[in-house]
Amino acid sequence: MKIKIELFGAAKDFSDERYLEIELTKKINIKELKEKLIKLLKDRYPENMNYSKIVETSAFCNENDQIVQENYLISEDQKLCIIPPVGGG
Amino acid sequence: MFHGKVIDISDDKISIDKAQLFITSEKCGASLFFVGTVRNHNNNKNVTGITYDSHDSMVEKSFLEIYEEAIKKLTVEHPVVFIEHAKGYIALGGISIVIAVACKHRAQAFELSRYIIEEIKKRTPIWKKEHYDNEKSSWLKGNVIIDNKE
Repeated sequence: MKIKIELFGAAKDFSDERYLEIELTKKINIKELKEKLIKLLKDRYPENMNYSKIVETSAFCNENDQIVQENYLISEDQKLCIIPPVGGG
Repeated sequence: MFHGKVIDISDDKISIDKAQLFITSEKCGASLFFVGTVRNHNNNKNVTGITYDSHDSMVEKSFLEIYEEAIKKLTVEHPVVFIEHAKGYIALGGISIVIAVACKHRAQAFELSRYIIEEIKKRTPIWKKEHYDNEKSSWLKGNVIIDNKE
């Protein structure tokens, strides 16, 4: 199954696209998604350790604009957003 | 009364006049405007501008939540609140946010305005990318979002 992660803030540096698509072989939760994302970014950008930290400190939200917990099970073809630490004003 | 919106500066702009028009009320004796602008320095670097990114629907939801929470927690009479935050590139001196509040008394207006800006800083999904005079840029470190509703 494939999931789409919309990128915001510092996470926009992860890709030139607005979304990052991840192929999954089984259902995983947010905690496992973070681990998968960190591995993917380490493989893609081995020189940039800061990306791992961004993922570790980020929250994720679902299509209903709700922040989801680490044990939230991701469904097939789900669209999520990565919400790095915030600071407007 | 409440108004909260993200303004994409590529097709609109933040207007203090619009804010004033919205909060004007004969029931209120105090009006207060908080205006955030882009300054030319931060962390010993010369800043030339800031790009704001935003999760628009979550931001607008967050503005409303903060407003509703504020009027529940604080003792404010006849509150009227107008919040607009910019999205996109803002040059030096440009307006990034306007929080206009009106209440019956001045103490309430100060308290309400302060509460809103501090909560926006803590939890509203908006991000800043600073641009410097050496042509580099960087996303600023922010506050980790913790959801404590579940």
